[in-house]
Amino acid sequence: MATAPASFLPSGSRRPGFKLGPLPQALVPPLALFAVWQLACLTGLFPEQVLVPPSTVARTLARLAASGELERDVGVSLRRLLVGFGAGALTGLAFGAATALSRWTEAALWPLFLLLWQVPVIAFLPVLVLFFGIDETFKITIVALATFFPVALATFDGIKSVPRAWFEVAQVYRTRLPDLLWRILVPATVPAILTGLRVAITRAWVVLVAGELLAADSGIGQLMETGRQLFQIDVVLAGVITSGVIGFLLDRCARALEARATRWKDA
Amino acid sequence: MSLLDHKPARFAVGLVAPALLLAWWQWQASRGGSNAVAFASLSTVGGAARELIVNGTLLADAAATLQRAFTGLGIGATLGIALGIAMAMWPLLDRLLGPLLNALRQVPMIGWLPLIGLWFGSDEGSELIVICLSAFFPAMLNAHAGVAQVERRYLEVGQIYGFSASQRFRRILLPAAMPMLLTGLTQSLAFAWIAAIAAELLMGASVGLGVTMQQAQTQQRLDIILVTIAVTAAIGFAINQLVYRIRSSLLAWQAPAQ
Repeated sequence: MATAPASFLPSGSRRPGFKLGPLPQALVPPLALFAVWQLACLTGLFPEQVLVPPSTVARTLARLAASGELERDVGVSLRRLLVGFGAGALTGLAFGAATALSRWTEAALWPLFLLLWQVPVIAFLPVLVLFFGIDETFKITIVALATFFPVALATFDGIKSVPRAWFEVAQVYRTRLPDLLWRILVPATVPAILTGLRVAITRAWVVLVAGELLAADSGIGQLMETGRQLFQIDVVLAGVITSGVIGFLLDRCARALEARATRWKDA
Repeated sequence: MSLLDHKPARFAVGLVAPALLLAWWQWQASRGGSNAVAFASLSTVGGAARELIVNGTLLADAAATLQRAFTGLGIGATLGIALGIAMAMWPLLDRLLGPLLNALRQVPMIGWLPLIGLWFGSDEGSELIVICLSAFFPAMLNAHAGVAQVERRYLEVGQIYGFSASQRFRRILLPAAMPMLLTGLTQSLAFAWIAAIAAELLMGASVGLGVTMQQAQTQQRLDIILVTIAVTAAIGFAINQLVYRIRSSLLAWQAPAQ
């Protein structure tokens, strides 16, 4: 039996839809949603103040895009995401590797890490606002924090799950440290780390939007927040859709990278 | 044999970094000036903790947030599990609702906050909706996957025994899907807890840990924020431990994993 194009299979049970051509299939769910939504508005079930039809939201999106407002806000948000993600990923990798490779650093630093890990990253928002004000530093730091934890954890687990025997073989062959790193450790841990990075970037996006909702003068979250304060439902919906599409694309790109980088595993 | 093989020694080594962090913090706080606002001294934080405990704020906040999270979890996860199972059993329903839910799932939960605030106002109800939404999706996805992945031969055996639809559900599908259902519930619980804090923080209605955090932020009371963060972390940790225990005792009949 042919599978339904948008059947609700769990993402893990099937390889990321690569051979099927990911785009057309990915477009079915949003299109169905828009159709239902437009119909609901046409029936007059909801007044204009409560729900505007997708056609109006599309016009608003076009207006925001034409005025350059959308480009500016999305650009600002993405720049924050990129800088924060880069910083968080690098420190997370370094921390995870340092704690996994030496028993002393593990004993010294891992308990503190586990302690801090219990705090939802969103709960750090008020502290960071007090520390850094509502400037760029605050938003980049929150993104870096949201990235750091999953990446550090994935790196740590990835290295820890490398079989001991591999290290022993390396010792027998007197493998030098750079070789040990590049020829054994990196290939063995790349899948776990990539998964960590993917989880991290989608979380970082959520936390960034939350940070911008709470305190910002620009960015996609701020666009939504202003829309809410001015009761502009179309602007809020435009923001919801934009943030959804960006989150979706980030996840998809990360999955594609992951599938590509771990292809050798299936061979 | 290294020093690290002794448990107490290992524990002591683990305490060094937090102790250094606290010492550095205290030193920053004692330098005064602009630092004093950013770094609340340990005694100030301790004082705030005592104050919040004595006047009952902390307990009331924790209870309110927990209640909110669990109410949201109850509603969201129940709907999610019911819908997930139903969609796995009836492909037509899957095809009708699947695309819709898949599209909605792409938006980060936080992204719904302004919209929900606009529709329902910034009060208790809106916060609950956000929590329900967060709890709904993991429960539904895992329930769906759990039932969809039940091995065919189990169902065939049921057919041979002439099981009725309800017997088939109670004696085959439900037990076989149980591990996935519990995984979904665990994820839902974690999501509901974080969503409760986030919703309180961003909407700030009535009482709760997030509300207190948000108010403390506007009053520049870092000491209060730190106390609420510590309580949030402790509760999150306790919930995780509890769920882990319940899960292992419920799944004790299974062969131990690995």
